[in-house]
Amino acid sequence: MTKKIAYTGMFTALAFVFSYIESLLPINIGIAGVKLGLANLVVIVALYLTSVKAACILSLVRIVLTGFTFGNPASMIYSLAGGTLSLGVMVLAKKFKFFSVTGVSVLGGVFHNIGQILVAIVVVETASLLYYLPILILSGTVAGVLIGILASVIIKHLEKAFAISE
Amino acid sequence: MKKVYGAIFLAVGIIVFAGAFCLYGRNGKLQQYQGQFFDCFDTVTTVTSYAASEEEFSDQMQLLKEKLLYYHQLYDIYHTYEGINNVKTINDAAGVKAVKVEPELINLLRLGREMYEQTQGKFQIAYGSVLSLWHDCREQGITNPKQAKLPSMEELSKRAQHTDMDKIILDEDASTVFLSDREMSLDVGGIGKGYAVQRLAEYAKELGMEHVLISVGGNVCAVGGKIDEKPWRVGVENPDQESAKAYLCTVDIADQSIVTSGDYQRYYEVDGKRYCHIIDPGTEMPPEYFASVSVLSKDSGRADALSTALFTMEFEEGLSLVESLKDVEAMWIGKDGEIRTSSGWKANEEK
Amino acid sequence: MVKSALPADGRPMKKNDVILIVVLLMTAFAAFVSISLYSKLSTREAEAVVYVKGEEQGRYPLSQDTVVELSLENGSYNILQIREGKADITEASCPDKICVKHRPVRGKGENLVCLPNQVVVEIENGEKSEVDAATN
Repeated sequence: MTKKIAYTGMFTALAFVFSYIESLLPINIGIAGVKLGLANLVVIVALYLTSVKAACILSLVRIVLTGFTFGNPASMIYSLAGGTLSLGVMVLAKKFKFFSVTGVSVLGGVFHNIGQILVAIVVVETASLLYYLPILILSGTVAGVLIGILASVIIKHLEKAFAISE
Repeated sequence: MKKVYGAIFLAVGIIVFAGAFCLYGRNGKLQQYQGQFFDCFDTVTTVTSYAASEEEFSDQMQLLKEKLLYYHQLYDIYHTYEGINNVKTINDAAGVKAVKVEPELINLLRLGREMYEQTQGKFQIAYGSVLSLWHDCREQGITNPKQAKLPSMEELSKRAQHTDMDKIILDEDASTVFLSDREMSLDVGGIGKGYAVQRLAEYAKELGMEHVLISVGGNVCAVGGKIDEKPWRVGVENPDQESAKAYLCTVDIADQSIVTSGDYQRYYEVDGKRYCHIIDPGTEMPPEYFASVSVLSKDSGRADALSTALFTMEFEEGLSLVESLKDVEAMWIGKDGEIRTSSGWKANEEK
Repeated sequence: MVKSALPADGRPMKKNDVILIVVLLMTAFAAFVSISLYSKLSTREAEAVVYVKGEEQGRYPLSQDTVVELSLENGSYNILQIREGKADITEASCPDKICVKHRPVRGKGENLVCLPNQVVVEIENGEKSEVDAATN
């Protein structure tokens, strides 16, 4: 139990640091919402190596922390929507064992973007934001594949350590 | 355990929607409107803003128009108006008596004096006697191009004797202005419009308008950015009117102003040579350094005065002035279309 | 021994993952095609809108060549010509002729202004506007 708490804390800190690193590397191609999602890497690893509960907690805490530290209330709302939808879909996808880590990560990436755009449509009240949908699906997929492959490698290496320690 | 997840998801969902709703409530169902009117500062005024309905927008436009009309009358040098002492009233009383005026006129003259000092005399509000001579010649030359002629150098230098800024006697306590030289007159053409636009923008803010773009004849001032928090995009017109390229550069502004002084719109020709409406207080002649100069600044009045002053300065001199000022950037377009900018201009250019 | 979370052969992707990625890419492409088709269909044709003293006087699609004479009070006039998708004031009674000297306009938001006659010709609709205002 103590270990679990320690892991959750460590993962949260890691995700927080990744969010910060990502904010330093602006992969700015002119479209809001297109990014790698390094923090998602930690969420996925946690999802596979610890528990759904730990992944949920770390995801929420990470969003709230980054929101207060680097963002504003608006950006936090967007993150919450994207993060929650993404995590929800990933949990389901993992449960049905239909996809491997990469597939789950891709779904997470895509639904993260979809969640954000849905909120944006409600806020700005213009459906024309749907124009961004193709590019956001595309970028979500690409980011998801990259993060997924990375996550597989990390999980492979950490799996044993976690299995023994359980 | 399942219940806990359900509760967390529900809570997050509620937060997201409440948040989205708050953001939505802030911007509401606002729509972009654009309106235009004439009658102020001899040009067309265009206002772009967001409102919940067309009625709300036209009410706001009405108020803005009244406000701008007030400044137009106050700063007018050609007409007098019932019940208001304006610049013409002051000029008419030159050498005779002090005129009691509204504080906004005193404020303008104070800014004019500050800009005179800042530009080392290149921006001049006491230059009316020379400007009016050029103005008359230009009007005549435009109406009757065949008989277009230049003012005589002799007359120009004679009139230039009566442009002493120190002879504008401001009494702020009594709110009066007195020109102690009978032959002198004020011309606030290079600053009045800009100052008025700045005050109009502040008035718009008081009316609760948070995202407004005001253009009074190309003197552009932004209140905030657009409603999606993106900046307003302003094109700097190509001085070459024959060219198919409409803008030489586009600039993104939010809570800023951009003003351009150029020689390609208001001018007249004598023997095939172009003489524009801006006159260099050093030579009494139109300067020929540039086709246009644009100035970007937080304050529209300063930007207006600076663009006029920079137009009469050589590039190096103007550049060192701009670099010495905070929050001011400039772009010079040469007669051959060559573009030069101050060091911070690029930061505002469209990415 | 805990069952591995990864496929037995250790590769990061399964067949299903590849199918998912292909389906997503196809969805993105299909969405892109249908959205650009839709926006092309729904973009209204660019028009030259004539305002006199701020009041709308008429709209002329840029796709049809035409010449419009705007007769104003006191015998003032502006002649608006639409040719090759551009609007141009070719003649005017005003003394300064700033409107005549101005280049023809075609892009949304561009305009021709004749101050003495209080005439504004502005391009509306059409493709997305390049700028919100112009400084001159």
